[in-house]
Amino acid sequence: MREPPYPTVLKPYGETLVEIARQRPEIVCLSADLTRQCEIDLFQDQIPDRFVNVGMAEAQMMSMAGALAREGHIPFAHTFGVFATRRPLDQIVNSIAYPNLPVRIVGFMPGVSSPGGPSHQAIEDVALMRALPNMTVIDVADATEIRQVVPAVVDVPGPVYIRLKRGEIPVIFDDTHEFSLDEAQVLVDGTDVALIANGMMLSAALAASRTLAGAGVSAAVVNVPVIKPLDSETILDVASRVEAVVTAENHTIVGGLGTAVAETLAEAGAGVPLRRVGLADTFAEGARTGPWLFRKYGLTTQDVVDAAWQALGRSDPPPVAETVPSSEGEYAPV
Amino acid sequence: MTGSEHEISKLADRIRLRSLEMVAPHGFGYLGQALSSAELIATLYARHYRHGTDRLVCSPGHYVVAFYAAAAEAGRLDDSRLATYGQDGSDLEAIGTERSPELDLTGGSLGQGLSGATGLALSARLRGDSEARVFALVSDGEMEEGQLWEAAMFASHHGLDNLVVILDANDSQVDGPVTSVTTIEPIATKWEAFGWATFEVDGHDPQAIDEAMEGAVGADRPAVVIGRTSTRQGLDCLPPDADGHFIKLPPELIELARQELEARLA
Repeated sequence: MREPPYPTVLKPYGETLVEIARQRPEIVCLSADLTRQCEIDLFQDQIPDRFVNVGMAEAQMMSMAGALAREGHIPFAHTFGVFATRRPLDQIVNSIAYPNLPVRIVGFMPGVSSPGGPSHQAIEDVALMRALPNMTVIDVADATEIRQVVPAVVDVPGPVYIRLKRGEIPVIFDDTHEFSLDEAQVLVDGTDVALIANGMMLSAALAASRTLAGAGVSAAVVNVPVIKPLDSETILDVASRVEAVVTAENHTIVGGLGTAVAETLAEAGAGVPLRRVGLADTFAEGARTGPWLFRKYGLTTQDVVDAAWQALGRSDPPPVAETVPSSEGEYAPV
Repeated sequence: MTGSEHEISKLADRIRLRSLEMVAPHGFGYLGQALSSAELIATLYARHYRHGTDRLVCSPGHYVVAFYAAAAEAGRLDDSRLATYGQDGSDLEAIGTERSPELDLTGGSLGQGLSGATGLALSARLRGDSEARVFALVSDGEMEEGQLWEAAMFASHHGLDNLVVILDANDSQVDGPVTSVTTIEPIATKWEAFGWATFEVDGHDPQAIDEAMEGAVGADRPAVVIGRTSTRQGLDCLPPDADGHFIKLPPELIELARQELEARLA
């Protein structure tokens, strides 16, 4: 694993999809007018006969994707996360999830990474997709995971929702990192508190772990890219060895990773204090920059540290998270 | 009426009778849909739809009863299975899904079936299958759903000439006549404006339907056959205010309807 600031790359998803599609003629690439933003201009240029732009018609895209999958294709349907889940929810239910068809829904620009306001901020996409029977739900953290998630999901028999950061993608993991559809990964061992995170909050959890270590608190970090089906075994195993659990997600705390972990802990009778870092059951707002929104809505490294401190019942002031400076082309958690 | 048209009219009445028998045990249900679409579906089955080659979509899944009836007439469903229509545990669901026999897609959430049909038609093209056609039954009320027009635009932009819509314009939706809820006219002009080959006929006239379907199948772009129909067609015994979407069928009305259809089929 690298240390922040992380280098970034462009279009790891788009490049990988083209690579895999060259080997798999069943793959068709669907766009809903956000072709470059979803990195599939590469597919459009290189495999144009299997690229279909449906235009600004997400309902059409999802209903059609289901029919294509039924006929033996493997459709990858792309747009921003908001438009991939909110608008065509009923279409996903009837044409994709209920029939349990291998459509891959790829939603870009998660949570408050978009300063575009509530219309563009996918803060409940994980909750919506997680509520659907048959759906696999994935939120990956970096380019290394992205390059592995595409080949990993091609042959999943049912539908998959993949949540992807847009634009510059950090490289957090080394090439030796192995993404798994079945297993969450304990990246850092710890005995006091477990920080369970994914997507854009993984780097914040890793940074929080370092800050906590500096204050004498041993914080485990668990990466959970696959929210459904959840690897409850790993989560319960880690939870059994710590005094408190903190989840961190770039999403509302209702219905996403934090909820999934809460359900797991409660049903197992784990009885361990839990704090959920995420949007606190609130919509966000339009702004100039994403990082400002991460700060305002409680998605920073400091917020993870504070949540751990509180979950551990500490009354003394929590340690202050170090801000890692990043220059252009680099990424560091807020 | 030629012999062939006479046969189609008979088939339509047999679809009506079988639909009546399926709905009757429930005392209410989706009979009006079968009454309005009987000639459209009978003509489609008798003259154009090739089971095993073509794809069939029933966007308003409530119409599925007529497809079960047509499948029975084609020898693909027997009476004992039809008797399970809408019952607990049966795959002959009253609102058709893909687990129902005869249909290729889940219907019922209105306005979505045509999008699915465009997917089937696009797939045929991608796979180089120039033989298969996709027939999609769509109802006039579905024209109120925006997604229908997304699909209509997609189909014409991509020149899906293997796609034929059978539009049952029965002027019926849950809240009453479509005309009382939303103005969807002029129907044909709308489809034409969206780039479709458009055929408008009396939806209870087998010869007119057959000719329109012939033209639609041969068109060089997606085509729609608009059949003007009535949800009371073929059953004079129904009261004038009979609900076209979800009709109540007390035992005495069922008996009258049965007698009327059997007399005509005798």
